[in-house]
Amino acid sequence: MIELRQVSKRYGSGADTLQELSLTLAEHQFTCLLGPSGCGKTTLLNLIAGFVAPSSGQVLLQGQPVRKPGPDRGVVFQDATLFPWMSVLDNVRFGLQQQGMNDLQSTAVAREHLELVGMLPHQHVWPIRLSGGMRQRVAIARILALRPKVLLMDEPFSALDANSRERLQDELLRICDLCPTTVVYITHNVDEAAFLAERVLVMAPAPGNLRADILLPSPRPRPRTSQAFRAITGQLRSELDRLPCCISASLPDCLCSVEK
Amino acid sequence: MIRRLTITLLPFLLFLLLWQATALLVEQLRMVPFPTPWQTLLRLGRLAAGEPLSDASLYRHVGDSLLRWLTGFGSAAFAGLLYGLAAGMFRRLELATGQMVHLLQLIPGLAWIPIAILVFGIGEPATVFMIAMAAFPPVAMTVLAGVRQLDGTYLRAARMLGAGKRAIFFRVLLPGALPAALSGLRLGMGNSWRVLLAAEMVVGTGTGLGYSIVESRWSLDYTAAFACLVVIALIGVLVEYGLFQPLEKKAGRYYYLEGGPQP
Repeated sequence: MIELRQVSKRYGSGADTLQELSLTLAEHQFTCLLGPSGCGKTTLLNLIAGFVAPSSGQVLLQGQPVRKPGPDRGVVFQDATLFPWMSVLDNVRFGLQQQGMNDLQSTAVAREHLELVGMLPHQHVWPIRLSGGMRQRVAIARILALRPKVLLMDEPFSALDANSRERLQDELLRICDLCPTTVVYITHNVDEAAFLAERVLVMAPAPGNLRADILLPSPRPRPRTSQAFRAITGQLRSELDRLPCCISASLPDCLCSVEK
Repeated sequence: MIRRLTITLLPFLLFLLLWQATALLVEQLRMVPFPTPWQTLLRLGRLAAGEPLSDASLYRHVGDSLLRWLTGFGSAAFAGLLYGLAAGMFRRLELATGQMVHLLQLIPGLAWIPIAILVFGIGEPATVFMIAMAAFPPVAMTVLAGVRQLDGTYLRAARMLGAGKRAIFFRVLLPGALPAALSGLRLGMGNSWRVLLAAEMVVGTGTGLGYSIVESRWSLDYTAAFACLVVIALIGVLVEYGLFQPLEKKAGRYYYLEGGPQP
């Protein structure tokens, strides 16, 4: 589904953020990228999304090289980045209209997906009136409405309080069950990865960005208090413990500008 | 409500007192007449009733000044908005011209006088040109900065959602830059209003509030000059409370971006 061939990325003349990374992600699999900040997780996601181009190597989606961002790869950012000048409904309709849908169709599809994330009662509200968790729900709806081949999520729930985060994790799994999607999910949180993922890639700073590739036992959702869940978090923690802490990134991912 | 009113009005009353005291002191110490608030108010009343000032009515002066201002500011605002959006969309344009706009910003409005007079001669177009030159840079720069702020967040999101150039311009850049544009317009308006009055004083426009102030000075009619200053202040208050504050309030309702006040 997604294939990276010997991908390297550096910003400006700095050191490599990613070095010679090769990776294949299967269709309809939920993959978590787990690792400390500064290890290139977001860079990897931006490469797949098409926001940045690799310095060398190739990023392929279904065999086709990725050149620019597009609705087949929906991104949910850490901040919801809903357009504050549009109502919730119009935010979801925006992408649909770009695909050439008329008003009637786009409204129907947008409502259907707002319903899916439980935000239909708030369809006429302005984003500023919503809590962080509600905004992320809308952000997810506006992506799902476009039926993307890939769902890219960059620590989408990390700014939320613990309770909302777990509720949204539950919802995300339920939604993935309803409409199977390939998900690439970035997190630095072991519990989150253990709860959501079918496959966990433990990442570290270059060289050797990929430190571990772990397939998790299949039944999901895994109850957060179960023995199996604790076994997984223990395994992931021991992988992370081998990494150096306090990485000084040459350039934080969030500061890199969008390449056009 | 009453408390707020007192807090707002108190400094104003103090100012009037200070003015009165200055008038008395100057008259006592320097033996020259200095218009008091009361005299100024009376004169303003007579001018408002139609008493001519520098061969024209007060209304004519105010109208001419406002017209010049709106012409100069309007064209500069339009150009500034257009430039800011275009430079925000096409990075090459910004690279090529951004420094020049910065330089323009550094040139005080009145410094354009020789150029304005050489190009347009003495008269209306020269004044309008100076006003426009004073208003353009702040509008252009704030709009550009506003668009830049959208980069990385809203622009990224729009492209990811499949938006083309047209949709990005009209549905993302334009509404997204609105708060910045509003503060740019406000800056530009203030700049150009000040330049307008100064230009009228120097270029010799024949009418206008700035012209009347200078004329009153030559004819030692200081009360009239003071009355004109009061009119200028009143126009400023009107624009601020009648135009910008309601506009910003309206925009603020939807446009609180990240970090804005939460409900």
